[in-house]
Amino acid sequence: MSFNHIVVQNILRDKWTYVSYFLSSMFSIIIFFLFTVIVFHPSLASLDPDSTLGLALMLASLLVYLFSFIYIAYSIMAFLKKKTKTLGIFMITGASMKQIRTLVFRENILIGVMAIIAAIILGLVIAPLFLMGAKVVLKAETFGMYLPIKAIGLTIGLFLVLFVVISKIMTRFINKEASIQLLKSDAVIEKSIRPHYLLLFISIIISAALAYLLKIDPDIVESLGVLYYTVFFVSVLSTIYLVISQGMRFLLKTFERSSAYMQRTNMLLASNLNAKMKSHANMLFLITLLLSGVFLSTSILFSSYYNVEKDSEANYPYSFQYIAPPKADPSKVEADIKNLEKQLSAVDSQKYFIEFKSNEKLRIGYMSISDYNLLHNEKVRLGANEVIAVAGNRKALPITDVSDDKYLKQFKLVSVNEKNLLTTGFQQTYFIVPDEVYNSIKYPVYKTYLFELDNWKAHIELAKKIIEDFPHIYEERYVTSKIELYDAEMLTKSVMFFIGSMLSLIFLSAAMSILYFYLQTTLLQEKEKYVGIRKLGLSKKELFTVVSKELAILIFVPFAIAITMLFATLFAMRTMVSITFLQVSMVSSLCFFALFFGSYIFIRKSYFKRLLSD
Amino acid sequence: MGSSILQVTNLQKEYIGEITYKALNGIDFQLSENEFVAVMGPSGSGKTTFLNSVSTIDRPTAGEILINNRNPYSLDDEELAKFRRSELGFVFQDFNLVHTLTVKENILLPLTLDSLPAGKMQQRLKHVSQFLGIEELLPKRIYEISGGQKQRVAIARAVIHEPSLLLADEPTGNLDSKAVNDVMHLFSSIHTELKTSILMVTHDPYVASFANRIIFIKDGKLYNEIHRGHNRKQFYQEIMDTLAFLGGGQHEL
Repeated sequence: MSFNHIVVQNILRDKWTYVSYFLSSMFSIIIFFLFTVIVFHPSLASLDPDSTLGLALMLASLLVYLFSFIYIAYSIMAFLKKKTKTLGIFMITGASMKQIRTLVFRENILIGVMAIIAAIILGLVIAPLFLMGAKVVLKAETFGMYLPIKAIGLTIGLFLVLFVVISKIMTRFINKEASIQLLKSDAVIEKSIRPHYLLLFISIIISAALAYLLKIDPDIVESLGVLYYTVFFVSVLSTIYLVISQGMRFLLKTFERSSAYMQRTNMLLASNLNAKMKSHANMLFLITLLLSGVFLSTSILFSSYYNVEKDSEANYPYSFQYIAPPKADPSKVEADIKNLEKQLSAVDSQKYFIEFKSNEKLRIGYMSISDYNLLHNEKVRLGANEVIAVAGNRKALPITDVSDDKYLKQFKLVSVNEKNLLTTGFQQTYFIVPDEVYNSIKYPVYKTYLFELDNWKAHIELAKKIIEDFPHIYEERYVTSKIELYDAEMLTKSVMFFIGSMLSLIFLSAAMSILYFYLQTTLLQEKEKYVGIRKLGLSKKELFTVVSKELAILIFVPFAIAITMLFATLFAMRTMVSITFLQVSMVSSLCFFALFFGSYIFIRKSYFKRLLSD
Repeated sequence: MGSSILQVTNLQKEYIGEITYKALNGIDFQLSENEFVAVMGPSGSGKTTFLNSVSTIDRPTAGEILINNRNPYSLDDEELAKFRRSELGFVFQDFNLVHTLTVKENILLPLTLDSLPAGKMQQRLKHVSQFLGIEELLPKRIYEISGGQKQRVAIARAVIHEPSLLLADEPTGNLDSKAVNDVMHLFSSIHTELKTSILMVTHDPYVASFANRIIFIKDGKLYNEIHRGHNRKQFYQEIMDTLAFLGGGQHEL
């Protein structure tokens, strides 16, 4: 009987412990593999790796890899904990620490290799389906199946390294004392959480102060840079941890003193939570973090997906905008406009032919009130020395100080329009002035031809053709189209959306499988305990109540905390985010709730069944 | 002799597997109010199966069990749980205490499940813990107390709801000889002072000698029955003789 024989037998005889470990490893490998299949897809070969899309894909793969690292490390930890007693028996029978480490290392590598092989085979089966889904979301024409040699190579290479590294590191964590202790008694007694209310208070104060600083004075934050964000991140993390652990301690201690404690199954439930306070708190913390990540990223990604239309419109307000700069050849401009009108003759559209003058040095535009009224279909009147300031840039407020202006020194600002007038950034600000004043201004004239199509999103092909026919020529013509921008943005956002959904799905299933693992590791102890109590007279229904409540706490407390944080963040940013953002967050939270509820029912059912099985 | 607490008629239990094995083969037995009966027999004779059937843990294949004239096997899960914690008290070889609870909470567990008023719980707890001499253990956790103390706590839990029948499965199996003595004297006083009927399985003749009556089971059948006179020493000798006759189990003393 060789050492390797023991390694193999050790796995075979304890299948179920290994199966959950194997499955969770395989799961993260499949995810990574599918991502790389997309990244190396021939259709994306032409993609510039420095573009948003290319970067997003790279970043996502990196994130998935990093996540796999943490996740697999966690799985091994949980798994080792479960095996501690067996390892203790090996030690007692005379295995040296070195042999134990070799045993664990070989086991892990064996499982790792099997997980990689299984993941790639399964991945190749799923890949066509996955690519089909990607094709729909990305609206790509060709996104077929191919033989992903590169993806296979990369997955095998990276995960082999990962398993070797993690196994090497993890074997250092095998604790001789703990293993032998476990041999003496099955129950590992956890130290309970000590009160740290002052610490909790301080960390809340620090986090709140930092958050408030971000809101009231972004300049200081900017000057501190990375340092600020690191400190903020750490303080928020420790606040969350302290709130969870101290909150749990406080609630349990309070509950213990209440009269309800000695009623029905309350005592059993509370003592369960009490005895495993520390590991429960760690568990809740981990799940809360994963969920917060999911919620925040989905909210941002989903809302940006839904914002594309508004976003494009905010940047480029018109379907087509043709600006002829002062140096353009008038006859050529005329020909262009004729051509444009001809191309647009088949669709319903409004045309506006206007002009503005520009102080080119300061990039300030001047427009007559008549042209402004024409554009906005309004009848605003201006007094002889009144002026309206209109934004020329999407994200910057218009200049409102006219005291230094050559023409408008004595003018009174009557209103400010923060909505971008023409293509963003073309001018910094537009001053709308009475027609007579406009005529007296001696800056070069920019002729502007605007076309607005009805139902503009339906004319993507047309827009693409027009933009191709009328390329930008410096000092001759500037052509922009919100339709074309919309189309380009839509692709990027679709990819982001796709990646976002994948990532949140990964995080979500990770949260659930971490929970499942956690329950697995304590299942035997719990089972033994409940068999004993059942003998004394605990009905299945009562047991179900205890289990239901305990699981509900483990699943819904992190959910509630994460949701609260999401909405607190949204509330703090309410002036900066649109209504769509809030709506999308609401809807996605509801979807997550449904998913969670489903998982809760599923986990509860299978856990209860396993608790009762012989 | 009072009325009968436990009535067992033609009890049979088969374990169906690759080789079907008949653990109990028609046992008739009666236990009267305030009786203390020990069940003895060689390993594998079926004595634990017998106790498990009576204690509603293991459903018999055939036969009838009546506890206080009620058939526990006709109850559904919830009623059965209630029945167990009102009519029966259990003492196990491995104590079966809940590690996550304190000693006090362990003892009160059956009462909390029935949501008794707090005042009544305290009153009973005080009574029982005084009676068993475990007052100073109450705030402790299970892992902080010794085996003998654990068994005393388990006995407290088994009698706090004043059951009609106390069932004990090798209650001294995990204890040293001093603790055995303590625990058995407790059983005796529960029997004489609390007037609780007791059915106890043991393989130890010394432990069995505390009972009023001993039934011997062999090969799933009732083999013999002896009653205790006034002298426990003499009773012990009788037990030894019967066991020697019974064979099968070489009992270490």
